[in-house]
Amino acid sequence: MSAKPKLHAANVVVRLGDVLIVDGAALDLRAGELTVLIGPNGAGKTTLMRALAGLVPAEGRIEIEGTPLTALTVRDRARRIAYLPQGHVFHWPMPVAAVVALGRYPYADAFSAVTDVDRQAIAKALAATGTEGFAHRAVTTLSGGERARVALARALACEAPILLADEPTVSLDPRHQLVVMELLARAAHSGGAVLAIGHDLALAARFADRIVMMDRGRLVADGSPREVLTVERIATVFGVEAMIAADASGTHPVLLRPI
Amino acid sequence: MMTSAGPSGLRLNLALGALIVVLGVISLMVGPAGLSPREAMAGLFSGEGAAGIVVRDIRLPRTLLAILIGGTFGFAGAALQGLLRNPLAEPALFGAPQAASVGASFVIAYGLAGATSFAVPIAGILGALVSIGGLVAIAGRRASLSVTLLAGLALASLAGAATALILNLAPTPYAALEIAFWLLGSLEDRSMDHLWIAAPFFLASWLLLALNVRAFRALTLGEDAAASLGVDVARTRLLVVIGVALGVGASVAVAGSIGFIGLVAPHLVRRAVNSDPARVCLPAALMGAVLLTAADIAVRLVPANPNATAIEIKLGVVTALIGVPFFLAMIFRERRLLDGAAQ
Repeated sequence: MSAKPKLHAANVVVRLGDVLIVDGAALDLRAGELTVLIGPNGAGKTTLMRALAGLVPAEGRIEIEGTPLTALTVRDRARRIAYLPQGHVFHWPMPVAAVVALGRYPYADAFSAVTDVDRQAIAKALAATGTEGFAHRAVTTLSGGERARVALARALACEAPILLADEPTVSLDPRHQLVVMELLARAAHSGGAVLAIGHDLALAARFADRIVMMDRGRLVADGSPREVLTVERIATVFGVEAMIAADASGTHPVLLRPI
Repeated sequence: MMTSAGPSGLRLNLALGALIVVLGVISLMVGPAGLSPREAMAGLFSGEGAAGIVVRDIRLPRTLLAILIGGTFGFAGAALQGLLRNPLAEPALFGAPQAASVGASFVIAYGLAGATSFAVPIAGILGALVSIGGLVAIAGRRASLSVTLLAGLALASLAGAATALILNLAPTPYAALEIAFWLLGSLEDRSMDHLWIAAPFFLASWLLLALNVRAFRALTLGEDAAASLGVDVARTRLLVVIGVALGVGASVAVAGSIGFIGLVAPHLVRRAVNSDPARVCLPAALMGAVLLTAADIAVRLVPANPNATAIEIKLGVVTALIGVPFFLAMIFRERRLLDGAAQ
């Protein structure tokens, strides 16, 4: 295996109230790898991701580039982990460029001006996501696919070594699903450690360097798409009868019917 | 600031600042004493003679209070809207001024303190704190707009009932009448003492809100994304609630209840700052000062029946008469948003 992981998690336990949501998760995110976290609804994927982002208290060990997550200052954490929540929420009709500029929030305070580094990061994120064409439009007037790209641009503008994206392709048309997955893969292959939650197994198989499968709070499989996506596992974890086609281009799961 | 104030934002702020000065000067000239502009200015700067007393002791305090209270309501409204990510948020919709009225009228009714004592603003601030804190606690962190508004409505009604009870049980009819008129909201007959009592609370309010203005921008992405960007959401919420309560509580304690400036002022300037919830705060405060100063000039110009108990139309009546239809118009425009929130 390659150099030290950007994010190392071991024995992560998250309880919300009395309910055990994440039960002893262990996970490494490495630079250059796109990892896709899959699992049925209610498996605890979002909660695990929020724990890794430091947004929900967790037991166990989570280290960011060798430093315990809890030892990082809030600002330091924000500079190292970009987190893209579900739903691509924008409450105010701000221009796209101003929304993407929020990715630089951890680098500024109330008195600092926008630096050239900020401007470059914003321009790069706009260009990478193909959103510069509507940079001056109000974000609330955009289509779902455009909003998803703007949300991703905002996260990319952080230029954090770790990117956590919660269901970035949800409710997107097929083309935009591919566009967003390609962007995440590119972010990973240019040196980022990227973790994305997804529900589309075929999409995960196609783009992920690694797939982590979660079921009822536990990580039940972790490996290449070929290793993780087996007919048996898809049956036990998802309750779906599947067919797996494999060729030189990779693994292609086809879902047939609920069991 | 991440996005520097564009020329339109700067120009707007300068224009609003100039308008406040102009309205402030007009406010010093308007009143029953019928001074000419020259007499008024001479009175202000010399302080001598009848004109000096009228301008310095009667008109100057009410002018300054109109600017400060209007500015505070504009700022508080913009801040609450930024915190709750909703253009319909307004201190009055959450029962803050009504709750401040309860505290202040209790103190007045039972003569616990003279009208110019610190006890009135402190009681008002406590009332406002309890109501906004209660709202955040009852409606919860992720409350939808409809839940928040319903909880606010309930708290406002409860505060209204409590004030009615105090009026009901007022020890003397004179106290009841005093409270009743004071509740209508007015800047009539306020002195510099009122200003000095309220000023520290206004300053504290502005400071607390200003410290959190930047977070409002990150909050446009929702609380989780804002937290991931380094915003301490719980702390921001607490400080803004306290800041709003301090400002609104002190305003109500000095001027009675004056509503809807906090709703109207940010709305009027939002477009000029591209809906940026942080950059809207300064022009919203300036616009609030403009609106309240203008309203306070208007109440002195509108003829009222000199034989009635109230010589002037009350300021709070004017702001509500303008503000409530404005609020209804906004609900009309934001219907889709409200429908969505109700689901």
